[in-house]
Amino acid sequence: MEKTLTKKAFPQWVKKLTSWKVYVPRKDEEGRWNYVEADGEDISLDVLQTTLPPKKIFFPQSEVFLEFAKSLEGDEETLEVKEVLPAAEPTVIFGVRPCEARAAWLLDGVFGGEPKDVYYWRRRDQTTLVGLACTPPPSDNCFCTSVEGSPHAEEGSDILLTDLGDKYYVRSLSEKGGALINAAKGLFEEPKAEDRKKVKAVQAESEKKIKRELKGARAVSEKLQAMFDSPLWDEEAMSCLRCGICTYLCPSCHCFDINDEVEDSTPLRGKRVRTWDTCQFPDFTMHSSGHNPRPDKASRLRQRLLHKFQYFVQVYDKIMCVGCGRCITLCPVGIDIIKVLDKVKDHGA
Amino acid sequence: MAEEFEPRIVAFLCKWCSSAGSDLAGVSRMEYPPNVVPIQVMCSGSVSPLYIFSAFNKGADGVLVSGCHPGDCHYIKGNYYARRRLNLVKKLLEYIGLEPQRFQMSWVSAAEGTKYTQIIKDFVKELKPLGPQTKLRRNP
Amino acid sequence: MAKIDDLKEEARKLLREGKVKYIIGYGAGSNGWLAAPLFIKKPEDVDKLVWDPTCVHNLVRFLVDEKRRKARQKQPDRRPVGIMVKGCDSRAIVVLLQEKFIERSDVYILGVSCEKAGVVDDAKLAKKLAGKKAKTIEVDDRNLFVITTDGGKIEVPAEELLAEKCLECRANFPVIYDVLSGEKTKRPLEKPFGSVDKIESLPVEERWNFWKEQLDKCIRCYACRSACPMCYCDECVVDSIHLAVSVDTTADEKARRIKWIQRSAVPSENIVYHLVRAIHLGGRCIDCGECERACPLDIPLRFLNKKLEKEAKELFDYEVGFDPDLPSLISSFRDDDPQDFIR
Repeated sequence: MEKTLTKKAFPQWVKKLTSWKVYVPRKDEEGRWNYVEADGEDISLDVLQTTLPPKKIFFPQSEVFLEFAKSLEGDEETLEVKEVLPAAEPTVIFGVRPCEARAAWLLDGVFGGEPKDVYYWRRRDQTTLVGLACTPPPSDNCFCTSVEGSPHAEEGSDILLTDLGDKYYVRSLSEKGGALINAAKGLFEEPKAEDRKKVKAVQAESEKKIKRELKGARAVSEKLQAMFDSPLWDEEAMSCLRCGICTYLCPSCHCFDINDEVEDSTPLRGKRVRTWDTCQFPDFTMHSSGHNPRPDKASRLRQRLLHKFQYFVQVYDKIMCVGCGRCITLCPVGIDIIKVLDKVKDHGA
Repeated sequence: MAEEFEPRIVAFLCKWCSSAGSDLAGVSRMEYPPNVVPIQVMCSGSVSPLYIFSAFNKGADGVLVSGCHPGDCHYIKGNYYARRRLNLVKKLLEYIGLEPQRFQMSWVSAAEGTKYTQIIKDFVKELKPLGPQTKLRRNP
Repeated sequence: MAKIDDLKEEARKLLREGKVKYIIGYGAGSNGWLAAPLFIKKPEDVDKLVWDPTCVHNLVRFLVDEKRRKARQKQPDRRPVGIMVKGCDSRAIVVLLQEKFIERSDVYILGVSCEKAGVVDDAKLAKKLAGKKAKTIEVDDRNLFVITTDGGKIEVPAEELLAEKCLECRANFPVIYDVLSGEKTKRPLEKPFGSVDKIESLPVEERWNFWKEQLDKCIRCYACRSACPMCYCDECVVDSIHLAVSVDTTADEKARRIKWIQRSAVPSENIVYHLVRAIHLGGRCIDCGECERACPLDIPLRFLNKKLEKEAKELFDYEVGFDPDLPSLISSFRDDDPQDFIR
C-alpha cells in the first residue's frame, strides 16, 4: 500500500508503536550518528551516515548460543546443555538507508541457506526495517549505484520512506510494513497524483547526486579471478594496519567466531558465545597445525575484495558490497576500495 | 537476620616473607577474619598487573599484594620493581573510578604475623561498607 | 610550515645510492583526507611526498611490520628503511630503540619539524568545512590554518583546528633524526597533561560513569592495538587473536592457553582489555593519538593511556621517549621511589 505522512505527524506515528521496540538514529554531542532506542525525544531523519550499521541490532556483536553446566550427584556427573534462543521482541528500526537494507537482504541469503541460522532469524523475523530514500547521499564516499544498488532501492526494507519536503511518501513493501502502518492508520493520507510524480522526480535526482563511482563492478568481478597471484595486493596492503575496522563497520560483512566462555571450572559451567570476527586478523585462518594460508596483509586484503566482488558473485550472483563507503571513510590509513578496484580493472591493460 | 556482606579478598603473598608471616599468624593461633584467599607467589615483583585485574574480573572485592621490606627481598630487587609497577596499577585503578580502598599493598616480613592480621582486619573493615565489587566483575 | 625540499633531496639520494630499501612517508590520500602513508621505492617517486597539517599518521607502526616481514624472509635485505617522522613519532622510535626492538641502523630518520603548527583533528576539520571539500591546507606566517576549497579560502586560528594531542605537545620537532627539515622553534603550549587533570578532578563515581559510558561503546575491533606502534607483541596477552603457533606447539598447550578475558564485548571485558593495554603502555605511550584517531567509535583512549605518562613524570621523574639509553620505566627503580601507598 502507498500513503503519505506529514513530517509533523511522524513523531506521533513513532509514539503509537508501543508494541515494538523502536530504534532511531540519534546524533551525540560530537555530531556522530548511531541507532539507539527511542526514548520519547525528538526524532530526526535528517541523518548523515551512522557509524555502526543496523546489523548490530539483529546480528549483535556477541550473543549466547547455549549454556552448559556439569553437576555432581553422588558419584554421577551429568552435563546439562541448554540452548539459549534470543528472546526477540518485535523491533522496528527507522532511518535505515537503502544500502543498509540491501545489506540485510544479502545477509538474509547467507543465514537463510541450509542449515538456517535460527539465532539470526529469531531476531530478523521480528525486525521491521523502515528504509529512508537517500536525498542527498549520506556520505561523501557513497557509491551504491555502482554495485547494483540505488538511493531508493527496496530490497530488504519493509517500508520505504521518501522525503518530499513537508511530508514522507510511505510505500509498504511487506506484511510487516503493513502492520506498522496499520498501527496508526489515522495519521496517514492517501497519496495524490502529484505526490507520485514528485517521488519519481526526487528519486531520479538522488541517483545523480551520488558522488563516487566504480565503473564496471561485474567486469571487475571477472577480472579478479585471474588476479589471485598478482603483486598488486602487496603494494596496496603495505599501509594496511590489519585493524579490522573495514569489516566490523561494514553492513554486509558477517564473519563470526564461536568461543566457549567458561565461568567456573569446578563444577564446569559456562556458555558458548558467538562474536564478530574479521578476516583481517592474522589468526582468522590459523590452522591447528600452525600453518596459516593467509599469513600476510596482502593475502587478507585480497580475501576481503575477492569475497565481496568475486566469490559471493559466484555463489549468490550478487555483489556483497552495498556501496556505503564506511570502509573508505573510517580506514585510518586511507585505503580506498574504489581506487584498489580501479587498479584491478586497469591492471595489465 | 539478613546476612552481612563478607568481602572476598585475594592476597598475593610473597613466599619468603609475607606468606611466611601469614603462616606465623596461623601457627601462633592469632585470630583474624577468614575473608582472604591467599595465593603464594615467589616474589612480589612477579605479580603481574594482569593478575590483579583478573582477580577483580573474577569477582574479588579487594586485592592485596604483600612482599618483603625494601632491602630484604630474597631476590634482592624484586620488591623495588613491585613498588614501582603496583604504584602505577593503583593510580590507574583509581583513575578509572574503582574505589581506592580496594587495592592495597603492604610490606610484611616473616616475623610480622601480628602486622599481617592487623592488615587483614583493617582491610575487611574498609571493604564492608563498600559492598560487593561490580565494576570489573565479569557477571555482576 | 616547513618546506621539505631538503628532505626530498636527501630521500632521492638515499634511493639512488641504494642506501635504503624504501622510504615511508606521507603522500596524497584519496578518501577525503589529504594525506596517507606512502611507500617509495624509486627516486622518481619522491616528488609524491607531501608535508602539510593533514599528515597525522604515526608511520612508526610500519617499522613493526617491516621487522615482521624480515623475520618471515629467509635472506632478508638488511638495509635500513627511511621514515618521515614528526616530533611525536620520533619519540616512538626512541621507545622502540630503548626496548631494543629495532637497531639504530635499521632506520634512517627523516625528521620534520611542526614548527609553530601541528596536525589537524579530522572531526574539527569536518565541522569547519561543513560539507565542502578541502583541496589543500597550509599554515601561513600569522599561524593561521588556510584551507582552500572549491569555494575559496577559509582561515582558522590554530587552536580551533589542532588535534588535541598537539595542544599538549611535548616535542614539536623530532628528538632523534638523521636529517631535519624545518626549524627547531618552540611552540606555545597548553598545560601539559591538562586532559588527564580534568578527569582526575572528578569524584570517584563520576569518573567511573564517564569511563563506563565510553568503554561500553567498544566493539573490540582492536583497531587501537593495531594502530599503536608500541603494541608489537606477536602474541597479545589480553586476547590472542594472533596466537604464535608453530609445528611444535602441542594440542594440550593450545587447549590450555590462558584466556585472561573473554571475546564477547561486554562491559567488564572491555574495561579489563583497555586497563591491561594501558598498563602495558605505562612508560611507553608517547601520545601519538593514533589509538583514538583509529577508533571508529571515538572512545577517548588518549586520556587513558596518557594518565600513566603523567604518573611516570610525577611519581618517578621519568620522561617517556626522549633518551634511547634510558632503561624502560618498569624495569628500573630508584631507592627513593614513593611508597606512601604501602602499609
